[in-house]
Amino acid sequence: MSVETPAPGAPGAPGAPGTSGAPGTSGAPGTAEAPTGSGAGVIHDLGYRGYDGPRLGRRQIITALAWHSFRSSFGLGRGAKAKILPAIALIALCLPAIVNAYTMSAGGPRLISYDVYVATLRDLVMMIFVAVQAPEVVSRDIRSRVLPLYFSRPIRPGDYPLAKYLGFTGACLVMMEVPMLALYAGSVANSHGGSAVWAQTRALIPGLLVGLMWAIVLAAIGLLLASVTGRRAFATGVVAIFFLLTYTLAEILLQIETATAVVKGRGSPLTALTAPSLAEKVSGLFSPFTLFDGVRMWFGATDIGDGVPKVGGFGAVYAIVLIVLLAGCLAGLLARYRKAALS
Amino acid sequence: MNPPNGAPPVITTDALTKVYPGGVTALSGLTVRVEPGVTGLIGANGAGKSTFIKILLGLLAPSGGAARVFGHDSDAEGERIRQLVGYMPEHDCLPPDMSATELVTHLGRMSGIPKTVARERAAESLRHVGLHEERYRQIGTYSTGMKQRVKLAQALAGAPRLLLLDEPTNGLDPAGRNSMLELIARIGEEFGISIVVASHLLGEVERVCDHLIAIDGGRLLRADTIDSFTQDSQTLMIEVTSGTAELRAELEGRGLSARPYQRALLVPIEGDGDGTYDTVLDGVAALGLPLSRLERRRHQVEELFRDDDQREAADVR
Repeated sequence: MSVETPAPGAPGAPGAPGTSGAPGTSGAPGTAEAPTGSGAGVIHDLGYRGYDGPRLGRRQIITALAWHSFRSSFGLGRGAKAKILPAIALIALCLPAIVNAYTMSAGGPRLISYDVYVATLRDLVMMIFVAVQAPEVVSRDIRSRVLPLYFSRPIRPGDYPLAKYLGFTGACLVMMEVPMLALYAGSVANSHGGSAVWAQTRALIPGLLVGLMWAIVLAAIGLLLASVTGRRAFATGVVAIFFLLTYTLAEILLQIETATAVVKGRGSPLTALTAPSLAEKVSGLFSPFTLFDGVRMWFGATDIGDGVPKVGGFGAVYAIVLIVLLAGCLAGLLARYRKAALS
Repeated sequence: MNPPNGAPPVITTDALTKVYPGGVTALSGLTVRVEPGVTGLIGANGAGKSTFIKILLGLLAPSGGAARVFGHDSDAEGERIRQLVGYMPEHDCLPPDMSATELVTHLGRMSGIPKTVARERAAESLRHVGLHEERYRQIGTYSTGMKQRVKLAQALAGAPRLLLLDEPTNGLDPAGRNSMLELIARIGEEFGISIVVASHLLGEVERVCDHLIAIDGGRLLRADTIDSFTQDSQTLMIEVTSGTAELRAELEGRGLSARPYQRALLVPIEGDGDGTYDTVLDGVAALGLPLSRLERRRHQVEELFRDDDQREAADVR
């Protein structure tokens, strides 16, 4: 175009043939590409900037990923549909606390113990929560094959599962502790006097510890099982089947043993508690949920009778099995992602 | 590892070897040096390109030899390298149910960029690759070309000094390929980021690269600047508008070996070349043919892979 145009200004000439590129480029000093080139140039000049500022260290990156995973465990940062199940699960777990607050305000005693809470409801809801949300945390990344993008970041292969585990443990912890804190709040509000409040607090603390135990173990099991496949529905199935099978197995064994004890004439299940047989002692070792009960019983917590293993002198075994289970799941999770980093 | 000019080279490898547990040798004694600029890493599928990239990222340990990126040993300082390098994988790697903005922001943070900066950088990176309003849409709704751009943007989000792009034009139509290549050339030129483009398509890489590394079967075929790849060869190319067959006979009668190539004849140059030129011109004049082209032929990069003799000669090991 207008390479040697003598009048570079020439603003008021709309009809000028061939030179009507950009209206405002009056100062363009005769380069052939001036009209279009300057337009593109403006974008470039705004454009690429490097970054020399401070960078997050490995630990901070892990924290960021853990927080991201925690949020996605509740469907936060996802669509509305993803929030429905976690919300329902949390509300369901909080309902007993609300009922309790209501009865206590009417003058009744605290109905629910902190450590047991409402056993069947909590077992069921946590099973569903872990089975549905663990795949949300790990399977999606496998499905969309986004893992190489993480592994090419300045973290180590083990950091990804670590962050996922921390995030999901946090989510399970919220599911466990929030209802308990709601129960505590309702109870304290209806307690009179410092000693009553102190009694509630002392009862709460073991409950919180039980919640912690559940969260760190269930998150590890859920993530390991969910990470075997990228298909979410399938991953949910794997987790759910594991929980249901082991739970059913352990419950059946417990029922059989309790019934046998009664038939053998050792009296009621209550007396069976004082002298449990070997079979009774080990029957709870086959499911995470009965393991939790066993460990809880070992520490001398509330006995809710039916469906709880009579650990007797086997309490430590329950604790050891639980720790081995946890360690095995975490090791499996690490190995699974170490392998993924290489592929 | 400091060369005379002070700054370490972008990439150096020394007899880099990778043998997978199954016994498959992916890289065998590869020694290369990558200078700043855009470098093509060319080789057929299975030549070892992806293995090479994984080793550079410190994700795979070499079985032998060593690789350094900006002077950092890939095996020992992988994390440091990954802070300096952006990687665009070959295959699909984007979650469909996230927006490009969310994803690129998140991955920027994963590169160690603080939250607010990561957000700005994500918007900028996506704008640089040509995604504007679309970036708020879920990636699942994108075309292949847009997805490739998101993959490039996420590599830029960590403010890298080097980009490793694995088959960036994969799955794109011709127009998409062109604009991706333009984008790569622009990033190399204007952003001041060094780039290694792995590709099996020589014609594409040739267009955007300053340097070329050709590997085959895990071994270095040749590493040089694009110019030297296409430098003058010892061959004359002669084209006449008619009478090609007669000219061939005439030249052979004069003691030259001429072989047809497309519509032209190729004649090897002997000695300093003057004699060959003269003989050819004499032959053309004797037949009275209209000569339309007489020039020294330039090497085509493709010949590297076609011509086995040349491959052996160029094998640097």
